[in-house]
Amino acid sequence: MIKWFLMQTRSGKGARPTVFIGRASVTAGLVLSTMALAPPRATGVSPTSYHPPYNNTGPYSAAPIRLSSHRPSYGSTVSERYRQLMMARFNKALIPAFARKYNLPCSACHTTWPELNSFGQKFRDNGFQLGNDRDAPIWQNPSYFPLAVRTTPMWHMETTTHQPVDAVRGDATSGTVERTITQQGFDLSGVDLLFLGTLHKNISFGFVPSSDNTGSFHLESAFVRFDDLLDTHWANVKVGKFELDNLVSEKRFLFLSANGGIYQNYHFVPVGDATTFGLGDNQVGAEFSGHSENSYTRYTAAIIGNSDGEVGFSGGSQAYDAAVTVSQAFDAGSLGIQRIGLYGYLGQRPTTFETTAGAAIPGTGSFNKSFQRYGVAGDFFLGNLEFLPLYLRASDDAYLGTATAGDQPLPAGARAPKWNGGFLEIHYYVNPQMIFTQRSELIRMSQQALPTTPSNLGNIDAYTFGYRWYPMMTSRAGLALHGEYSMVKTIGAVPLSGDGVGLPPLSPDTPVWSRSLLFGLDFAF
Amino acid sequence: MRLATLQKKFVSNLGVILLAMVATSLPAQQTRVGNIDGHASAGKKEYRRSCVGCHGPDGDGLGENAQWIDPKPRDFTAAVFKCRSTPTGTLPTDDDLGNTIHRGVVTTNMPSWLPLTGQVRADLVAYIKTFSPRWSQGHGTPITIPPETPTTVESMLRGRALFQKMECWKCHGPAGHGDGPSASTLTDSKDNPIRPYNFAAGTRFKCGETNQDLYRVFMTGLDGTPMPSFADNLKPAEAWDLVHFLRTLQPVKTPEAAAWKTWLKSNANSLKPIGPETQ
Amino acid sequence: MQKPGFFVLAVVFLVSSGASTRASRFTAPMVAPGSVEGIITYTGTPPKMKPIDMAKEPSCAKQHATPVMTESVGVGPGNTLEDVVVYVSAGDMGGAATQPVTYEQKGCQYIPHVAAMEVNQPLEIYTRDQTSHNIHPMAKVNAEWNRSQPPGAPPIKVTYEKPEFIPVKCNVHPWMHGYFAVLSTSHYSVSDDNGKFSLKGLPPGKYTLTAWQEKFGTQTQDVTVSSGGTAKVNFTFKATPY
Repeated sequence: MIKWFLMQTRSGKGARPTVFIGRASVTAGLVLSTMALAPPRATGVSPTSYHPPYNNTGPYSAAPIRLSSHRPSYGSTVSERYRQLMMARFNKALIPAFARKYNLPCSACHTTWPELNSFGQKFRDNGFQLGNDRDAPIWQNPSYFPLAVRTTPMWHMETTTHQPVDAVRGDATSGTVERTITQQGFDLSGVDLLFLGTLHKNISFGFVPSSDNTGSFHLESAFVRFDDLLDTHWANVKVGKFELDNLVSEKRFLFLSANGGIYQNYHFVPVGDATTFGLGDNQVGAEFSGHSENSYTRYTAAIIGNSDGEVGFSGGSQAYDAAVTVSQAFDAGSLGIQRIGLYGYLGQRPTTFETTAGAAIPGTGSFNKSFQRYGVAGDFFLGNLEFLPLYLRASDDAYLGTATAGDQPLPAGARAPKWNGGFLEIHYYVNPQMIFTQRSELIRMSQQALPTTPSNLGNIDAYTFGYRWYPMMTSRAGLALHGEYSMVKTIGAVPLSGDGVGLPPLSPDTPVWSRSLLFGLDFAF
Repeated sequence: MRLATLQKKFVSNLGVILLAMVATSLPAQQTRVGNIDGHASAGKKEYRRSCVGCHGPDGDGLGENAQWIDPKPRDFTAAVFKCRSTPTGTLPTDDDLGNTIHRGVVTTNMPSWLPLTGQVRADLVAYIKTFSPRWSQGHGTPITIPPETPTTVESMLRGRALFQKMECWKCHGPAGHGDGPSASTLTDSKDNPIRPYNFAAGTRFKCGETNQDLYRVFMTGLDGTPMPSFADNLKPAEAWDLVHFLRTLQPVKTPEAAAWKTWLKSNANSLKPIGPETQ
Repeated sequence: MQKPGFFVLAVVFLVSSGASTRASRFTAPMVAPGSVEGIITYTGTPPKMKPIDMAKEPSCAKQHATPVMTESVGVGPGNTLEDVVVYVSAGDMGGAATQPVTYEQKGCQYIPHVAAMEVNQPLEIYTRDQTSHNIHPMAKVNAEWNRSQPPGAPPIKVTYEKPEFIPVKCNVHPWMHGYFAVLSTSHYSVSDDNGKFSLKGLPPGKYTLTAWQEKFGTQTQDVTVSSGGTAKVNFTFKATPY
């Protein structure tokens, strides 16, 4: 059994590509930017020497020795998180299969797909049922199949500043200089296969095999849901892997570019922090939920496994996270529906593992340390204008913040890292087939884990704007012409979502800009 | 001083202009759902967003999905509506239309649009009314529904006798399963086959789920379908008897069905079967 | 550019025709009214009427010794057509007929098969049967209604406000099929089982007559009615078997 685990771990490690240019190298860069900064500061190494060698083969070479030897899945967890993050851009749940099943145009359930409107929200809350006693598959034409496909052929350009490169191309010993790296060209997103539907009255399911742009699949989500337990909308339960009930959903938003295609707030962890969690990552667990008849009042309470959505126990321990959301909508007459909600997430992550011959055994984590995310979010309409504000308050335990094993002493002066974040997203609906979007996002560290860390290290400013034009709007399929420009600035680290080369700058107080320009054909069938 | 008067003048002029604009843009008939005024121009946008797929851009029920749907979507140009509080042959009230949008029509493709704002539903009602010139006549006067009579087994028995006498069973079947001798021949006013309601299918009806809703169904008829109005032939008390009996045909969830079942245990033999008279 | 011109012409025409109508009414007492008579025939092959199986309604079935046939094309001797509505579509429209038109349900049949009436002329629908009927005239221009009429129920009294040929059916007895011919004139006649019709009491003048048959559509002819005279007009429909 243990042997099997180890083999899995090894093969997982070996499978990760280590090419310099392109996404694979970003994997390394990302890992480093979020993780590898800790050891130098913890050990008092001067900031200029903390960037890793370019021939690094993954996070292990740079991760804290203790942790890395105790957490073989550590690296893969981060990689999983990164992969999810990359995939977040393409896993937007919009289901033309439902349009085909119910003969409703996309715009009935979506403000513009994939974002849900109040009608779509109720449909989803009812377990993908309209409630007209024709929801169960037994009522459907036998040729109906609950599958939708989405992909996005596109052209995009990624630019990242302050990237350390070899002073002489091809000569690893020539020293390092910073340059702006630009990549551009035609590209593909991955493909989502969205299987969602009902199995029976009040029993629904979903599973979403999702590929990256090389065609390598993973299971983005998979769940079964039971509705109207005890004959009331207030008691429903969902078990499996699914998106947290974020009022502002990242799986249903209107951005696709590398930098704009994620909410920074939903994935951010401070530089050097070992917490593996993103509010935007699909999580594995059980969610109890309820809603009023019109879904204006909603709540969820979920027990989440502490592997950040990763399957096979990897990275986890025998502890659980708790997620709670509650929201209330108001009918504001001709203005539209206004919704405001609170959310909270209390998680724990292990800091050490049982080991065999020095290698950790997945699922055996101990010395759990906690972290929390909570805040308020809203969805407000002023006629054709939609405002989506979010505020986030977050803190991690000092052990997680400094990537220190729980049975070891903390570095001198270590404290819980804390930060505030938020965004304001605005949509202007010219009509259901034309929409302009923009979003401003901020993250500010309010307390670094170590007093010696520059107070603004990791701070993020992001801005995105774009448009989506849906040249057709039928009840069978969807097509959108998508244009988007986004820019993100992170102090002392490569922006989380940077799709270009992704390595930290030479100095921790250098702001690194990453910019994306994307034109795509986003289609779903 | 001069400036102030000028300003005042300008403002009042603006007011007059605005008023005139509002007045000219008002539709011929006012629409009011609940206490919300509906506006057809706003409704058009929402109609295109949510309704057009089935009811069609021209409101004629020939949307792109119509061919796949059974029963067919309502043709608003005909202005014939099933669910009304008004007598057969008259137009429904704004609230009737609003209620249908609010409630949806069970066992059809029409979902409940409850999550929309009240304003949107009122606007949709206003827009739906632009598809037929018949709306210039105004809607019918809602029927009055007297207080419900006591729910007794006697009332159910009288209702059962009416179910036989009025020949409800010819379409709805002796047990209310929608399988009467005429059931297979029924067509709606557009010659599309239509099934009579199967009372065993659930506790909700196309036009609501309360006893009052059921009372309304056979006292107003479902226009455009084979279901006639019995307003000429049933006294209010008889109508309530029929309501109480029909509830016994539904799944045991209704209190009437439960009471009926209990009574039936000891009295089943005294009942003549419903169906053709056997002399 | 043409449309407004046409519109003006139409208005002028309407006004002048209205004026002439009024004038002719004033002069009517001076002359004796005339009439139009004729026979409706067909050429070609009309569809075969089929026997109706009333087994599902024994109370009606036993009233008919031989099976009742469908009535959409009523054929009489000498290739004549029954149940054709002949009415004035232009000319003196008469007006304000007050005599109630009766429509009966007997033996699960509509009698007559086609009932003609002027707009707002009272229509009374009777049932003589021992079974429940529902009368469902599927009006498009007028309001569509649908009423039940159990045995012994009083007549349903209604009027129609707009001219329209309204198919009538009973959903319980799907073979029951008839028509209401709601006309904007009081000068109308329905051909009998020998294909004969007659319009009486027509003020002298020029008329356009229209004949309507439910399967074969309409035909029109112009006719001049002289004082006290009887004009002969025959209509011939081209019958098709389908």
